[in-house]
Amino acid sequence: MNKDLEQLSALYDGELSREEIHEGLKKMNEDPRMKETFHKFGLISELVQRKTQKKSSTVLFLKDHLSKVNPIISNLFTAAASVLITLIILYQFDDDRFQVNRESSLQLSSAISSEEAKSQLLNADQNIMEHMIHIMQSSDSHTSQKISKNWIPVGFSVSPNNPNQYSNGRNNLFFHLENKQLGIKKVEYFRANNNWIYLIPLQDGRLLTAYGDIPPSVADPMIQSIYKRK
Amino acid sequence: MGANKGDEVFINEIKAGNQAAFEAMVLKYQPKLMSSLVGYTKSVDQAEELCQKTFIKVWQKIHSFRGDSALFTWIYRIGINLAKNDFASSFSKHSKVTGSLDQNEHDVPEYVSPEIQLIAAQSEDKIMEFIQTLDSDTKTAFTLREAEGRTYDEIAEILSCPIGTVRSRIFRARQLILEFMTKENIINE
Repeated sequence: MNKDLEQLSALYDGELSREEIHEGLKKMNEDPRMKETFHKFGLISELVQRKTQKKSSTVLFLKDHLSKVNPIISNLFTAAASVLITLIILYQFDDDRFQVNRESSLQLSSAISSEEAKSQLLNADQNIMEHMIHIMQSSDSHTSQKISKNWIPVGFSVSPNNPNQYSNGRNNLFFHLENKQLGIKKVEYFRANNNWIYLIPLQDGRLLTAYGDIPPSVADPMIQSIYKRK
Repeated sequence: MGANKGDEVFINEIKAGNQAAFEAMVLKYQPKLMSSLVGYTKSVDQAEELCQKTFIKVWQKIHSFRGDSALFTWIYRIGINLAKNDFASSFSKHSKVTGSLDQNEHDVPEYVSPEIQLIAAQSEDKIMEFIQTLDSDTKTAFTLREAEGRTYDEIAEILSCPIGTVRSRIFRARQLILEFMTKENIINE
């Protein structure tokens, strides 16, 4: 039996000859217990790979770290996947003011009654969702591009434990900067529980993403400052 | 990264119409896909439905898989696209407006309860701790395979031992982990 299970383990890893594969698949087909064991190998793989990725992921490491520092912001990461499927564009902002733009929201609302506009909107959202995936799930460093000191809100300073994290003692903020703008022409922001994600298109063609438990009232002067200095 | 050696086995067999190979592939990747989809949707029911739809699509589209990416990456993309389509449908349903902007605000639902994890979170740590207790040779072979995705050839070279030894060490690790999981009532026998 152990010999069969060892062969099953090698089949799982794709390490058998063609003849052995057929033999292994035949045995699996005839014995439901072998199928079950094969599936359990899959469970183990899933667990080990996920746990290993967690260890090597900066973002997920931050989550673990932040849960001790600030349980609220750690939800940003645990709820990351939720963000992808439930975020709706809330508001858009004009460049020169960071306030709720009721008119644009109402336009958005009426636009989605048109099939074509709805499709365009959903496509745009898909790009944004991909961006969220990148931010929340990427293990790449977020420091590949330098964050300007001018972007840091007044009262926030860099965390001694993490160069990407800024804090004012109550709220935490992270920045992500990259060279694509996802068709975003105006500042857009999204809410996930008590956390907020701000997508800020810069004049030089890059997109600055700020995320953390900072509400619009705190982010407002930050964004105004970014646009004043551009 | 293209399809790895392990994937190729399944892909070629499935393309040749081997249903047993397809079933094996489903058994192999279902836990990983479920985990991703549960994380994405926060709903076991929805994830299960999407998982099923995904594998149906995989079966239908396997001939278009060129091997430019790893098989699971391709499967994952199909699953996530299906999830997005679901989201798009629900978006059109739920986006009826709204005179007030506040009513347009959608919060993220509560984070999923731990019970729905494939392996309960508290058990995950136990299993990982158990893996650390495996003897060094067994643990290294297993880790090189599962965490780093190395082939048996590569592991044999790294560990300077025959492929047969690698194969038996990896199996031994899996066997011990399964025994531990059964003993701890993490999975049924």
